[in-house]
Amino acid sequence: MSSPVILLVEDDPALRTLTTRALQENGYLVRPAGNAPEMWAGMEAGPVDLVLLDIMLPGTSGIELCRQIRQTNSVPIIFISAKGSETDRVIGLELGADDYLAKPFGTRELIARVRAVLRRGALEAMPGTREEGELSFDCWTVSLPRRELTSATGGVIELTGAEFDLLVSLLDHPQRVIARDRLVELSRTRLPDSSDRSVDVLISRLRRKLSTAGQPAPIITVRGVGYMLNVPVTRR
Amino acid sequence: MRRYAWPTVGLIGRIFAILLLTVVIEFGASTLLYERASQFAVRGDEARRLAEHLVIARALVTQGAAADRPTIAVGLTTDRYAVGWSPDFRPLPRIAPTLDEMRLQVLAWEPGLAASDLRLRLASPGRNARVVGTMSLGDGSWLQFSTLHPVDGLNLSSERIALALVPALALLALGGLLLGQTLRPMRRLAEAADEFGTGLYHAPVEESGPSEIRRVITAFNRMQGRIDRLMGDQTQALAAVGHDLRTPLARLRLRADAIDSDALRDSITEEIGEMDAMIASLLAYLGGDADPETPRRVDIADMAASLADAAADAGRDVTYDGPDHLELDIRASSIRRAIGNLVDNAIQYGSAVVVRVEEEADSITIAVEDDGPGVPDDALERVTEPFVRLDPSRPRDTPGFGLGLAIVRRAARNEGGRLVLTNRASGGFRAAIVLPRG
Repeated sequence: MSSPVILLVEDDPALRTLTTRALQENGYLVRPAGNAPEMWAGMEAGPVDLVLLDIMLPGTSGIELCRQIRQTNSVPIIFISAKGSETDRVIGLELGADDYLAKPFGTRELIARVRAVLRRGALEAMPGTREEGELSFDCWTVSLPRRELTSATGGVIELTGAEFDLLVSLLDHPQRVIARDRLVELSRTRLPDSSDRSVDVLISRLRRKLSTAGQPAPIITVRGVGYMLNVPVTRR
Repeated sequence: MRRYAWPTVGLIGRIFAILLLTVVIEFGASTLLYERASQFAVRGDEARRLAEHLVIARALVTQGAAADRPTIAVGLTTDRYAVGWSPDFRPLPRIAPTLDEMRLQVLAWEPGLAASDLRLRLASPGRNARVVGTMSLGDGSWLQFSTLHPVDGLNLSSERIALALVPALALLALGGLLLGQTLRPMRRLAEAADEFGTGLYHAPVEESGPSEIRRVITAFNRMQGRIDRLMGDQTQALAAVGHDLRTPLARLRLRADAIDSDALRDSITEEIGEMDAMIASLLAYLGGDADPETPRRVDIADMAASLADAAADAGRDVTYDGPDHLELDIRASSIRRAIGNLVDNAIQYGSAVVVRVEEEADSITIAVEDDGPGVPDDALERVTEPFVRLDPSRPRDTPGFGLGLAIVRRAARNEGGRLVLTNRASGGFRAAIVLPRG
């Protein structure tokens, strides 16, 4: 298997060089670009496995570029932004970016995110796992593109990335037991904040979040095996 | 700039108009009162006694020689009437109201007096109302007389005094009301000036009222606009600097990864993290005013619990106490940051931290309590000011710019709520965001 090709779009020359070096040292092939025309040239130079895109570029903004790329291409995109604000993050993810990396970032975080997105990209290449639409179960609704859990009365329950991924894993296999090891394996695709959280802690938090007045959450423990969502799921 | 929607009367003009109005009304009221005095009637026997006395006096004085007349007149003075004579006409007190009705009563008894140019007036209206009068003797001399006792029915009794007071009081009330009306825009302006700078959006003050006040309001609005623009420009500049600083920080961060010494690399990484946190708090503070975030329904209990979880994950003793679910329409990320700031503060100063969500009838309280040293009571208000650090002797002990509580206070105010800081009776500090319900 050949090394993945990453197209890096970053206008600051020094940061571009440093990021390129960090990626190369971890075994990735990097095609650096400083602006929109260079990015399009990089896209045409050959297949690209991942685009690392700075939001604040001179001329065409990264958000606009993301929109343009998505019109023709489903290549994974990670946004890089100096604005740590929630709104930017949500806009980026809604436009079809796969992840979001806030400046300043370290080599470890950069590589972890790149690896996680590439890995997820590979999983999603399989049919039926594309992150689209809404899932409903019990009195809850999960929006996959917005990565949000909503109650029957419309209130948003905030989930961490790890909690959300775990919930989606459970929702993907309703009324079937999922082995604990499998959940641990699935949770590895999201890094780095989730790796040190044990699945059991995440499950207990999900249970608290999914509890409703007097009723326990619809997640049951199958002793010695794993966990199961014991209600049906409707997909829209 | 001095064109207004319609021409307005100036402040002085208005006050003048108010005074004019009160004077006119007072004048009218007094006239009416005096008009009524002419209608005053006395008891029948009173009129008859006066009529008879006057007929006798006229007869006696006319018969006497000019030199004797004063003496005769004095002789006619009884305990009821004082009588005097003068060779020429002595005018009656001018401001006393005439008594037309009483004159008719007297003339009814002695029609002969009509030829004598009888004039009656009410002197000193009030408690001791007396009737004074004069009468021509036909040869150019005049007889003066007055009652010595208050005349029944002519007393300006308390009822009449009240009657006279009513217009005065009404005028006072009317004048006060009109002046208040005139000065109301001034009060609105004062309120707006008070409000200015509290961090909330301020709409321009409505331009109304007298032209002087309009000019002040216009000037105030323009000043407010200039200050807002100036602050906006500075905020944008600072925010841009903040964002731009993150690129060199990112370079530094990546370069730090190349350092071989673990200790050195970790401490540099930590410093970079602190700088980034400072930039983040600065951006949060600056971004607060132009916050484009719109309220949405979120589970605030879950949010508070999750923040406690996150701190617990980082190895701190932070627990959550409250309901599992409680939905509220708020600007989620700014409130999340506010609660996060309170938790960070509590961790900074205390060891055991409790995040509580409490429901009251009309409000919801998100409180963060620690077991730290608390804040001196006289500094409780000051710590919410931006860039304030309490302990000047240890300025670098705490990370950040001292914006944490200022950001929390603003986030709470943006929801129509408030930040309440208290030292707990049992020791430690309690910071509570109180939000109005629904």
